Amino acid sequence: MKSSAFDPRSKLIGAFVGTLFLVMFTHWVPLAASLGALAVMVLLLHLGRSWIHFLTNLGFAVLTFFVIVSLAFDLLTGVVAGLRLLAIGTVFFLFFQTTSPERLSNALLKTGLPYPFTFVLSASMQFVPVLIRRARNIRDAQRARGIPIEGGPRTLFHLPALVGPLLVQAFKFADELAEAMEARGFGISGRRFRFEPRFRWVDWMVVGISLAVLTAGLAMKFFLP
Amino acid sequence: MILRFEEVSYSYPGAAARALDGLDLSVDPGESVLVAGTSGSGKSTFCRASIGLVPHFHHGKFTGRVLVAGRDTRRYPVHELFRHAGLVFQNPDAQLFNQTVEAELTYGLESLGMPPSEIESRMAWASRLTKLDSLMDRLPYTLSGGEKQRVALASILTLRPRLLLLDEPFTHLDPEGADELRGILRTMKAKGIALVIVEHRLHEIIGDVDRIIVFHRGKAVAEGPPRRVLSGNISSYGLNLPPLLRFFRAFGLNETPFNADEAIETLKTQNLLEPFFSRFSRQMLHPSHAPAETPSTIVEAENIWFNYEGRDVLRGVHLKLRKGECAALLGKNGAGKTTLIKHLNGLLKPQQGLLTVLGMDTRKNPVSKISRHVGLVWQNPNDQLFRPTVREEVLTAPKTFRSYDPSWCNQLFDRFGLLPLLDRSPFSLSEGQKKRVSFAAALAVKPGLIVLDEPTAGQDESFRRELTGFITLLREEGSTIVLATHDLEFAAEHATRWLVLSEGKIIADGSPEDVMTDASVMAKAGLRPTQRFQLIQAIKQHGKETL
Repeated sequence: MKSSAFDPRSKLIGAFVGTLFLVMFTHWVPLAASLGALAVMVLLLHLGRSWIHFLTNLGFAVLTFFVIVSLAFDLLTGVVAGLRLLAIGTVFFLFFQTTSPERLSNALLKTGLPYPFTFVLSASMQFVPVLIRRARNIRDAQRARGIPIEGGPRTLFHLPALVGPLLVQAFKFADELAEAMEARGFGISGRRFRFEPRFRWVDWMVVGISLAVLTAGLAMKFFLP
Repeated sequence: MILRFEEVSYSYPGAAARALDGLDLSVDPGESVLVAGTSGSGKSTFCRASIGLVPHFHHGKFTGRVLVAGRDTRRYPVHELFRHAGLVFQNPDAQLFNQTVEAELTYGLESLGMPPSEIESRMAWASRLTKLDSLMDRLPYTLSGGEKQRVALASILTLRPRLLLLDEPFTHLDPEGADELRGILRTMKAKGIALVIVEHRLHEIIGDVDRIIVFHRGKAVAEGPPRRVLSGNISSYGLNLPPLLRFFRAFGLNETPFNADEAIETLKTQNLLEPFFSRFSRQMLHPSHAPAETPSTIVEAENIWFNYEGRDVLRGVHLKLRKGECAALLGKNGAGKTTLIKHLNGLLKPQQGLLTVLGMDTRKNPVSKISRHVGLVWQNPNDQLFRPTVREEVLTAPKTFRSYDPSWCNQLFDRFGLLPLLDRSPFSLSEGQKKRVSFAAALAVKPGLIVLDEPTAGQDESFRRELTGFITLLREEGSTIVLATHDLEFAAEHATRWLVLSEGKIIADGSPEDVMTDASVMAKAGLRPTQRFQLIQAIKQHGKETL
């Protein structure tokens, strides 16, 4: 996780504006250029290796999207759709690589969102890897007694062997977690954070630039021939 | 008085039996108390009631009164009580819910609305005490079991509670981690914090506590200084007595030595050193299950290597297991034990080297073929339960492998005490019963090799006894068994051969006595000699000095 000088709220506004902008492009050239610019940012932040890992995970979705759109419309529309998905994915990759879930939830709390909501947002990021590890343990335990859940279409027939224990464990885990949280003051009023998010001039600059770019984009889209 | 229970009874919603039944006890400031008892005796419920989770979180039927630092828990919510009494839960995974270790330590302080400077100072104090300084930026779920336990403890210590409760804190720790935890608890006690430690493995902490309270069916049935309680009539409460006490009881002695020196003193004063030594030496030289002298090889590993996420987890492991052997796989957390046992049924394949199990090259054979012959009993039985009944759960593997033998499976049902449970849902069973189901499920295909992963972790004495019976029976039938465990007392009782793993390598392979005699191996692997071994060594030493 890279630390960042910006408040998560300004980055979030920037990421949403970037996404809107990418949705507006209907030609492959500006999309490819945007992706190139994003790639430069990735490299400048020394996130190249994580990005490649992210792209390998996103690759299947991009390919599927490209194939479906190409078949439904034409090849060029498929390329635009694929590039757009890659670029939007990279925008949010950059956002989450430079924003810790805790800072994000603290910042959202400042915007007036209720604490339980912002906590669930950060906790869900924490527990996805925990549940993935549990799912792996369950898969190993079932494979060790001959149930073929190694992937592939046959796994579908044996899904209860994976999903059953996982659900039971997830419910039990949620119960234990709720107890532990209660025992450390979850939901108590007067909570105060060690790092209080502050919106500084650089954040106002990010918001200003984002809005200016969005306005320019909308003007070009709707008022220029 | 920091904690007071006055005639407290409690039943969980929908439960017929009382989890606590007229419990009456108190804990003084600065006192350390060990709470012992079998599974289901009410120990964990007692912990929950001590911080107000019972009845506020669990609801149910609650009568009587619990006072924490003078506050009636019925009138104060949990978030008022947590600054006075902190509980470290049994499962460290389910109490770490922040993104970094640092955030974990500050969470409770932020809840209390403390100023940042106070948060910094308390965090620094707790992290230093629990040796977490180098882990502060780590993601909690990437830590080892022992590290998670320390984080869970530190996250409570930052609150500086006057009463600290720990629910089975030694369960997931290796011997080195257990030593570290004992050190931390001694410091806490020296700082005047009252400690309540719930634990099955009495020998881990008995020497450090002021008082022991024995729970049985929700009641405190015995209470007092450890020596007085343990020398009393407590045999019916199913406690896992410290090994030295068990040896003394087996010898007909009622004394309560907690270490080898005390045992020697007792034996000397009663003039029993020689008979005691000759009996124990006989047992050690002729263990109840001598290794089979058969040439048939079950497992053969030649220079196997395995790398995970850029780290060499196994580094050139050589191993040969013969039919009928019972071998214990020992080492610190992260030494490679689980990785090695996952190789034994092909779940993991060696990236270099050759591993054959019952003549099958694991790289060339699928898991489904190898696991037909290798029964793996996992530490957590909940990882495998998914069938609607116990019967179907046990018969899953035999039916998958088309190797169903009704008479063998009926024997297993009988042997594991599952006959009255066959039509019940496995999810409705107690943890001990679930473990028995997972044992029967693993054995249902008549495997040639049986691998047990931490079989005694979190289990009470009655399960240990059952387990001892199962292993004895399996060994008599000529099964080959591998035990991966931190429980050296159990390993010494059952395994005739110890394989010690350290940093992915087998650094010692021999009889338990040979391995324990090698101090450098024991130190490198973070192991401590068993109490029985320490006693024999002390008697030998005494003999030499006398001569």
